[in-house]
Amino acid sequence: MAEVRLEAVTKMYGRKTAVDSVSFDCKEGEFFSITGPAGAGKTTILKILAGIEEVTSGTIYFDNRPVNELPPQERDVAMAFETYNLYPHFSVYENIAFPLRAPKTEQSLSVQEERQQVEEIADFLGITPLLKRRPTELSGGEKQRVCLARVMVRKPRVFLLDEPIAHLDARLKFSTQTALKRLSSRLGTTIIYVTHDYREALGLSDRVAVLRKGVIEQIGRPEDVYHTPSTDFVARFIGDPPMNLIDGEIITRDKKTFFAAGDDFTIQIQKGLIASAEKAARREGDKRTVRLGIRCSHITVSRDRISDNSFQLPVYAIVRSPQGPLCTFELKDSFLQANIEEGVRYDMSEKVWLDFDQDHLLFFEKTIEISKK
Amino acid sequence: MSKVTFNHVSKTYEGNVQAVRDVSFTCEDGEFLAILGPSGSGKSSMLRMIAGLEEITKGEILFDGKVVNDLTPSERNLALAFESYALYPLMSVYENIAFPLRAQGLDDSEVNKKVRFIAEAVDLTDILKKKPSALSGGHQQRVSLARALVREPNVTLLDEPISHMDQRVRAEMRARIRRLHDELHLTTIYVTHDQAEALSLCDRLAVMNFGELQQIGTVEEIWNKPANKFVAMFVGEPQMNFINGTIETPQEVSIPAKEGKATLPLSGKVDETYVGSEVTIGVRPQKITLSLTEKQQGAIAGSLELIEFQGESAILTVKLKDLHNTEVKVAIRGERLGQAGETVSLSFSPETIHLFDKETTISNPVIKSSG
Repeated sequence: MAEVRLEAVTKMYGRKTAVDSVSFDCKEGEFFSITGPAGAGKTTILKILAGIEEVTSGTIYFDNRPVNELPPQERDVAMAFETYNLYPHFSVYENIAFPLRAPKTEQSLSVQEERQQVEEIADFLGITPLLKRRPTELSGGEKQRVCLARVMVRKPRVFLLDEPIAHLDARLKFSTQTALKRLSSRLGTTIIYVTHDYREALGLSDRVAVLRKGVIEQIGRPEDVYHTPSTDFVARFIGDPPMNLIDGEIITRDKKTFFAAGDDFTIQIQKGLIASAEKAARREGDKRTVRLGIRCSHITVSRDRISDNSFQLPVYAIVRSPQGPLCTFELKDSFLQANIEEGVRYDMSEKVWLDFDQDHLLFFEKTIEISKK
Repeated sequence: MSKVTFNHVSKTYEGNVQAVRDVSFTCEDGEFLAILGPSGSGKSSMLRMIAGLEEITKGEILFDGKVVNDLTPSERNLALAFESYALYPLMSVYENIAFPLRAQGLDDSEVNKKVRFIAEAVDLTDILKKKPSALSGGHQQRVSLARALVREPNVTLLDEPISHMDQRVRAEMRARIRRLHDELHLTTIYVTHDQAEALSLCDRLAVMNFGELQQIGTVEEIWNKPANKFVAMFVGEPQMNFINGTIETPQEVSIPAKEGKATLPLSGKVDETYVGSEVTIGVRPQKITLSLTEKQQGAIAGSLELIEFQGESAILTVKLKDLHNTEVKVAIRGERLGQAGETVSLSFSPETIHLFDKETTISNPVIKSSG
């Protein structure tokens, strides 16, 4: 087990910056995820930690010791990649046992000890029935779990896992994720986990770092990045349906502050929120523009007016989400989606009232493109 | 727009591989129907038979009561939208959409009217002059959809059209597809392996497995009254929990536990002959009530093993203190509840309990009248 710390780590490939001054501190025994879209630099960070890639600048510490100069084999990390790389002529059992037999492990295990460890990990990941098979006889999902077992059977200081369950179908992914979470809490080993799937990151991790174009946008507990994203990028990346983002302006009238996006869409901003709205706002000509964020579940929809702050929009379409029916509205530049009550029917184009839960309004600076066009 | 009927349709491939077995159902005029099943369940063969790309081995497919078995694909007047629908790279978006109309020999003003109408509906008006190569994936998708729909087809067939899109684009595309369906009064048949996609869009679902129709019904019917264990397992995420139980009385089922059994009241009445027999109890993770208090009457104790935060909900893994230490999933909205290692108690209200016959796996075989 080790504490892993990055200090202003930058990685350039030629003139391209893959990782841009990234700092974080992964505590001993922590399950720490790095998530972000393709090309964000997630895998590069893992490779740097493993010692496969050199840093351009910055320092990596394992337990407060700089390891920049340490070759991969001396870092005592175990790394699983998305790709399989199983030994084709070995059985699944032998593939998993392989790291235990490697000459480097000085206390060589007895046959019984080895069998116990292999079987235990296989049981955890639900691959016990596969132990006698060859890799060629396995499906992609099975291969991926065998790879994971081969890595997790070791007892390194740090596990580095790169999209280890990306190829599993939805159902298997879910059960493997549960197995992985259980395994991690039992092993107590530090895990740094890379995934493009925010669900894995939220479900598995103690803390999550959201990466965008080589830069960390936010580090926090899963609840933090979900409920209080620090940027519009994080807001859109974490959660499905994605958080609604609406561009508008801040208007002050009669000593009251409003958010307005078009003529039909004006809501008053509560006192407690004005400061954060002002802070996120930018001057554009004589306007103060800002981006408002709210999750589908924090909007109330009704045929009757709900409060002084309600406004009306025509229904665009109704689909379902795991949280219940989802009513879509078309705005000037974007769509707005809100959860509605089960069993309530609205007609297409019917005008209904919407009301935003003020406790869950967020204001952002515009850093991403959200136009529906 | 047409009504589509399958009348005892079977499809057998060379080597006597039966892909579709005696399937009968009707997709009503204006309906949005999903054909849902795992790979190899026969759903793609069904789509291809509707489209006329595959011969029907036995039975009939009818559009508005007329047998179409011998009609060519073009005579059936269908819109087919696949995920990767090749656009003509040298033509503008406008010309791509206009292409099928010109092929029908419509004059320019008629073509223009129809292209403008559909472009408006799919929200492509601003980019009609662009070439496909200049468009994003989502835009290309919409162009291919517009081209499929511009002919005012009898039936619109969608084959996993958005399953590989980015999740943010997907949420919007779903709304767009549903809007188009409603606005143009389409009859839409949507083929997918993704139960979440099917649930999000459709009025009714036809669930397939091993070439057989397992159940057809509204989303609510499939969700609340799955016909068998396969349907119960395939639809819903996380999947339905299954627990071994025994029928105690016509109105009660019990879960055998180490410290006395938990007895659960049922919403309907079970046939007397089932009393004493073992059944599989099914409960959806979303329907379980979890409390942190001591064991209550009719509840079963368990230990909270894991908590997986998912945003809108958290998925808890609980190991029941029944004879088998059955693991169940509980989906809870909102904030985290409890801590790993804690003892919790789970209760199931009568109307959320599904019973499956252990041998046949047919649902509620024993309930005569549900409450």
